[in-house]
Amino acid sequence: MPELDSIASLEARREEVAFTLARYRTVVTMCGGTACQACGCQPVARAMTREVMAQGLEETVYVRTTGCHGFCEQGPLVIIDPGGIVYVHVTPEDVPEIVAQTIRKGKVIERLSYTDPVSDKTVQAEDEIPFYTRQKRLLLGENRHIAPRDIDDYIARGGYSALAKALDSMTPEAVVEEIERSGLQGRGGGGYPTGKKWRQCRNASGDARYVICNADEGDPGDYMDRSLLEGNPHSIIEGMIIGAFAVGARHGYIYVRKEYPLAVVNAGVAIRQAQALRLLGEDILGTGFDFDIQVVRGGGAFVCGESTALMASLEGKVGEPRPKDIHTVERGYLGQPTVLNNVETWANVPSIIRHGADWFASQGTERSKGTKIFALTGQVKNTGLIEVEMGTTLREIIYDIGGGPKNGREIKAVQTGGPSGGCLPTSQFDLPVDFDALYEAGSMMGSGGMVVMDDSSCMVDVAKYFLAFLQDESCGKCTPCRLGVGRLLEIVTDISEGRGSLDQLDLLEDLSWTISVASLCALGKTAPNPVLSTLKYFRDEYLDHIENKRCAAGVCRALIRLVIDSTLCDRCGKCIANCPHKAITGSRDTSYAIDDELCTRCRICADACEQHAILVR
Amino acid sequence: MPEPITIFVDDIAIETTEGANVLDAALRAGICIPNLCYLPEVTPTGACRVCIVEVERHGRTKMTAACTLEAREGMIVRAHSEPVLRARRNIVELLLAEAPESPVLQALAERLSVTDVRYSRRDRDCILCGRCVAACAEVAKQGSLGMIGRGANRHKGLPFYKEEYCTQCNECHDRCPLELSPSGRRGDHCGVCGSELSMNDAIPDICEDCVLS
Repeated sequence: MPELDSIASLEARREEVAFTLARYRTVVTMCGGTACQACGCQPVARAMTREVMAQGLEETVYVRTTGCHGFCEQGPLVIIDPGGIVYVHVTPEDVPEIVAQTIRKGKVIERLSYTDPVSDKTVQAEDEIPFYTRQKRLLLGENRHIAPRDIDDYIARGGYSALAKALDSMTPEAVVEEIERSGLQGRGGGGYPTGKKWRQCRNASGDARYVICNADEGDPGDYMDRSLLEGNPHSIIEGMIIGAFAVGARHGYIYVRKEYPLAVVNAGVAIRQAQALRLLGEDILGTGFDFDIQVVRGGGAFVCGESTALMASLEGKVGEPRPKDIHTVERGYLGQPTVLNNVETWANVPSIIRHGADWFASQGTERSKGTKIFALTGQVKNTGLIEVEMGTTLREIIYDIGGGPKNGREIKAVQTGGPSGGCLPTSQFDLPVDFDALYEAGSMMGSGGMVVMDDSSCMVDVAKYFLAFLQDESCGKCTPCRLGVGRLLEIVTDISEGRGSLDQLDLLEDLSWTISVASLCALGKTAPNPVLSTLKYFRDEYLDHIENKRCAAGVCRALIRLVIDSTLCDRCGKCIANCPHKAITGSRDTSYAIDDELCTRCRICADACEQHAILVR
Repeated sequence: MPEPITIFVDDIAIETTEGANVLDAALRAGICIPNLCYLPEVTPTGACRVCIVEVERHGRTKMTAACTLEAREGMIVRAHSEPVLRARRNIVELLLAEAPESPVLQALAERLSVTDVRYSRRDRDCILCGRCVAACAEVAKQGSLGMIGRGANRHKGLPFYKEEYCTQCNECHDRCPLELSPSGRRGDHCGVCGSELSMNDAIPDICEDCVLS
């Protein structure tokens, strides 16, 4: 590949790539993110390439494997353009039919089309799927058009034009101003104004400056950052180069956790491609600006997502946070001024520079601008990655995009912001997605987790789950977080097992306050949120557990009993055969009974019973 | 030379230098901020959080550990306000529940009027304050002792748990707060902070909290 030694050569290459792509009559897009790989997209992709070759269509049909589209529960997805015909849950056996019918003749195969679970109607075209139509997919939408390991795909989509604009016609000062005016806030959770951070770093004194991309995403259920880094690594690299130009950095790092192998590889490939084209390295695009990026793999500690712990880990030290009385923009990596931004924040930078701060600021609410990606999971019909404009209400996300509750149950809460966030009840569902609004309601935006819970979830149990997670993931350095979170877990466990007392609720609140004010880092300061928010909105459930020793959702094992309804039981023996603890007795002639002493409330019997005769009391 | 500046701790003006350690400056000025993991001869870590204080900056108040706070001109620190005392008492209560038999923790609790421990008591011989680790690295210059594990599994230890990495210099032992014991003498006044509590036998006229620092 010839190096791009000037901005004109980048534009020439863009034209050349567009010309090559225009040759193809049909484009077959297959998602190849980690989730789709788990669903078996690779055999489908191989079968598709083979079939296209076998049919002699390789001159007119372009087969592209992209990153994650977000609709992971329907994967593997195959989309055929023009027309945007979408097929879901495709297997390698379906491929010959797709090539013969859809690609050759333009006929839609009904049985592979998507059925909307809300209206029960079949949807043929991608842009008519309700899950997509109600989103604003500025970042995620690009994933669908780009093969992550092909820099030309990114260039064809206008990639690196923001970098060219910044290097060619803007001063570093003007770039910082543009980001400030756009109102972009950090997408990692804190919501700190990105432009302000860049300016502080630019103004700080130091021998060198660094930019870091935080891809150490670790909240249970979240995979926004992974999908962006896997699917469109060049957008993050371009963002980082622009950021480095603005603050005056010469080195950058992408800190990505080792549990994201595809993201590690794709980021590395993208960096090498950019280096080969002289978009990274010395004298970028012939403008005299030098900058390079290195991928560093994190060992998988949740706390290393905290900025100071991440930098300690980068330096080769133990990944523990340090006091942040002096911010990392002044004294960060190696003691030098450092800008650390989340993957999604970096990915927003190129489009702000390309389309202007006003374009970005025109989206969203008064206080929060742009769009935000969420990982929508839990008890809703549609799950996956979604991107919505700031200001969209939780209700729209859960009922319109998510399609409402599953299995005819009733939704009772949504947990936003991961382990550090909180649970919001239905009465708060009209809250807009906005950094301040969610914070004021006792939760937080976080990096974008959104777990929807229905009446089969016990909120005491939910608090217990997150506390156990945080206790494991606390680094253990400071007293309030190490001992305090452990004690919170102890108390909540007592309550869930029927040993709770009313004064323990006051103790929970007092201790939570202490942890939130006295902990060393943000992990500790936000650790009590799951307890505080459930206590605030679901206090009656705590009281039910304490006073009546009852778990209404039937989750807390110590408070429930399994009984067999003899009027429903047909004495088939399935429960006896499946019970791992031999706790069920009975025969054809005598009625069935569960021995409470032996039963562990695992409910394997209830799942096995076709008569639904095993009830939770 | 760092600039001489003035900071205010509990409304008392203290002359110190730019970037100086606030806990150290307060202790020198006779304002005894209770502390536990702090050692003047090593880099402070801010792990135990006992020396928690409120600091006012840009019109906002936040809590932080005094030992890791760097002094700035005109800084306003409150070491004994109501929220600070509440947080500090709760922290000491958490520590005391880990090692209820420790004389030093008992003395600290008494000084802060922590009378009730609301948690089940454990009988640990270590509260993971990290003094030994810091002493091994910075006083003995060995760097053998370290913290191992995360969260509830965190514990101190030698590399691969092998005794051969220890030179037995005892610098760690001498600084372990659970090994120190304050005096039973009451009614004496500490020469540094004026506290009547927790006098120490080993060094007369200096109280438990001050000798710890």
